[in-house]
Amino acid sequence: MREKKKLEIMHTALKLFAKKGFFNTTIADIAKEMGMSVGNMYNYFPSKESLAKELLLYTARIFGDEIKKINEMDISTKEKIKKIVELYFKKAKEEPELVDYFMRVYLSNKEIFSNGCEGMLCVSPFVTEIMIFFEEGVRKKELKNQDFFAAFGLFMGYIGGLAFLNRENILGKSLDEYIEPVSENIYNALKA
Amino acid sequence: MRSKPKLLWIDAVSCNGCSHSFFNIDLSFLDDFELLYHPLLPSGDFKIQSSDILIVEGAIKSNFLRLGFDLNELISKLFFKAKTVIALGTCAVYGGIFGEGLVFNKTSKGKFFKCKDKVINIPGCPAHPEWLFYVLNMLKENKKIVLDELNRPVEIFSYTSHMGCTRNEYFEWKVDAKRFGEKEGCLFYYFGCQGPFTHSSCNKILWNEVNSKPRAGTPCFGCTEPLFPKENLFQTETFMGIPANIPLGVSKRAYLTLSGIAKSLTNERLTKRLIKCENEDKQKDN
Amino acid sequence: MKINKKIINKIEGEATLKIYGDKVIEFAEIEFWQYRGIEKYLQNRHYMDALVINPRVCGICGHSHLLATAKVIENAFGIKVSKKAEILREITTGLEIIQNHIKWFYVTLYPTLIQDKSLILKSLSITSFIAKIIAVIAGQFPHNSYIIPGGVTCDLTNLDILRVKEDLKKLQEKIDKIIDKNGDSNDLKRLFEKMDKNIGKGLNRFLVLGDNLYFKPTGDLTFVKEEKTKSLSKNALYKDEFFEVGPLARNLHHPLIKSVYENYQDSVYTRIFARLYEMHLILEKILNEIDKIDMCEPSFIDYTPRNSEGKIAIEAPRGSLIHSIEISDEKIKEYNIIVPTQFNLSNSTKEKPSPAQAALIKEDIKWSDFIFKCFDVCAVCNTH
Repeated sequence: MREKKKLEIMHTALKLFAKKGFFNTTIADIAKEMGMSVGNMYNYFPSKESLAKELLLYTARIFGDEIKKINEMDISTKEKIKKIVELYFKKAKEEPELVDYFMRVYLSNKEIFSNGCEGMLCVSPFVTEIMIFFEEGVRKKELKNQDFFAAFGLFMGYIGGLAFLNRENILGKSLDEYIEPVSENIYNALKA
Repeated sequence: MRSKPKLLWIDAVSCNGCSHSFFNIDLSFLDDFELLYHPLLPSGDFKIQSSDILIVEGAIKSNFLRLGFDLNELISKLFFKAKTVIALGTCAVYGGIFGEGLVFNKTSKGKFFKCKDKVINIPGCPAHPEWLFYVLNMLKENKKIVLDELNRPVEIFSYTSHMGCTRNEYFEWKVDAKRFGEKEGCLFYYFGCQGPFTHSSCNKILWNEVNSKPRAGTPCFGCTEPLFPKENLFQTETFMGIPANIPLGVSKRAYLTLSGIAKSLTNERLTKRLIKCENEDKQKDN
Repeated sequence: MKINKKIINKIEGEATLKIYGDKVIEFAEIEFWQYRGIEKYLQNRHYMDALVINPRVCGICGHSHLLATAKVIENAFGIKVSKKAEILREITTGLEIIQNHIKWFYVTLYPTLIQDKSLILKSLSITSFIAKIIAVIAGQFPHNSYIIPGGVTCDLTNLDILRVKEDLKKLQEKIDKIIDKNGDSNDLKRLFEKMDKNIGKGLNRFLVLGDNLYFKPTGDLTFVKEEKTKSLSKNALYKDEFFEVGPLARNLHHPLIKSVYENYQDSVYTRIFARLYEMHLILEKILNEIDKIDMCEPSFIDYTPRNSEGKIAIEAPRGSLIHSIEISDEKIKEYNIIVPTQFNLSNSTKEKPSPAQAALIKEDIKWSDFIFKCFDVCAVCNTH
């Protein structure tokens, strides 16, 4: 029951963060949207920072679990790239707040997360799966052996950028139509 | 009184390093054995004869002469006339640099694979003298030596050389050595240390009773393993920055999660030099 | 003429000696049949791998091969090392020479005339003590790889240095009992009770190429050439001539050794005496050096590899050891090793014999084993 409520609060927060921005959203705003008292809210999350942190863990776990499934599929690295792009674009469409949160709040406000979310602590499930994806690609000689972050930045920066453009309504076509060419470009850039 | 076990020590294709390694312990216990032949120690003249324990030091190889015999034929004859055979050192166990091992040829089956039941493998380049001391005395006393699937004594090879390394704390907290010649840092990530996946007790039963390679700042080269010596021994093989070989017994996912977390939580104490020279800063300024 | 073919074992590896003559040796041929192919094995590997593979040339003098490997790479890349690293290298390689000489004297040479097991056990207890001192610095002995291009891998504390120094002093006492500073040695006397000190004279031509420890080169290593023989080892010549390398060659300047040489020339006795007495000279040198260690100096200095060639010589237990390398894209293209045994135990003709052949010729056949072994043969090195 409690976990379910926490999830609801998190989703509500995500929506408000996306609408009003992280800094402009207060616990009171979230409580009001939930129809809860502020005092009750604090029973679930003692501060906005702790809510932000749990949201991050939650997001990383969702992505981590999904990529793990892809990692365990018996398919080529090229196909895996497409699956990951597909997954990301699907999330960007269905839960744009989630992707937004990750891009706008986590990556651009690292100082909020300096206490308890240092380094990769809170995004570990996601990063670990991406590492495994890359490592296996190189091991199978399908990807070029290079610095992890050089590859990671290329992959994530690229699809994150497209999700951002989509959110800003700048893309001429639907995100789905970019799955194919984007996957192709990533593969060509990273292949052995 | 039981008669002394007859011990025959033959050198195949080797550097004699296992013999010289063996010389580093008190050899008076050899009085309990009848030494039929040894390539360096005084013994009777060499002849093909039965033995209770045959020690083969070195690899086997075709077209190689030893004591006037073709090496492979010589080893075969001695092998079948021996009750127990000790393959001593990585050359005799897996082939090493110089040829093929008795029971194994690197990771595949060797010439004597079918007779592996009478072979005890003591890999190592060289083999640690106390490992041999243990095996010889257990045999002499008729005690059972439990062997693993590669015929190695479990009491020695169930350890990894990582166990007991003085740099373990650096491994735990993922503080990697960035350069050679410093007592700080773990050699696993940059310098090819194979300690976490090498079967041996080098950091438990120390070398010459005092030290080990990693303690002296040299990476473990996995010299007790079938593929010794691998290529690029001073560099860690990585795939996209992730070590190609990870500690024995752990999944890659678990290892990456743990090391990512350890790396994120900096251990301040371990990021500094343990002992600072008084004039170190001055030197750096100059 | 009778030809007596015998296998010489109980040396490092084995050699075949073909002796021409019945009682007196008219001529002798020296053959080595155990080729192992290390130089080929090194090709296309990363140059650092040579630091692990080359010590495996030899179980008794592998540490000298390690030093030579690091030095030849340093020579190729133009690398300098710290004084601290240099002193540590001198200590461990010097100690290797001493353990080699003790084993050679008591385990190899002595039993050819006198069987005394207690002497062997006693000598091995000293050599294992030496191995322990080396291990404090180098991690283990035999077969460490702590000497690397740019320095050493270890980072010692003052406690380690104190321990090494104390042990070196203890070692000095142990060596005093083998041969004292005046050159008196009961064990050496006992060995020569039944033997003429004048036998086994070689070519009386000496060569020193290495400059480690206190040794001074007398020649230029570019004049060294290898030549194929009937067996699997190669001859080593300097300016197309054979020369004797080793402890006698590199210590002739020492007054005590010089006086023995003046009495017995380059006979078995002088050769053995020089080798035993050298232990003191090396120990003195490293005891003197150890106090000069500046703990604040770096153990290792970084460098940039480049495509290049290198060739160096060091003085190893048995004499001058030459390593040469060609490195391209950090990989070994060519590697060549010339070991002291190739100089001293070359196999040539009666007209132009090698030092060991010359020493055997005209001597009683019963001394052949002893004369042969007094050169401290390393067949495993020879057949690298």
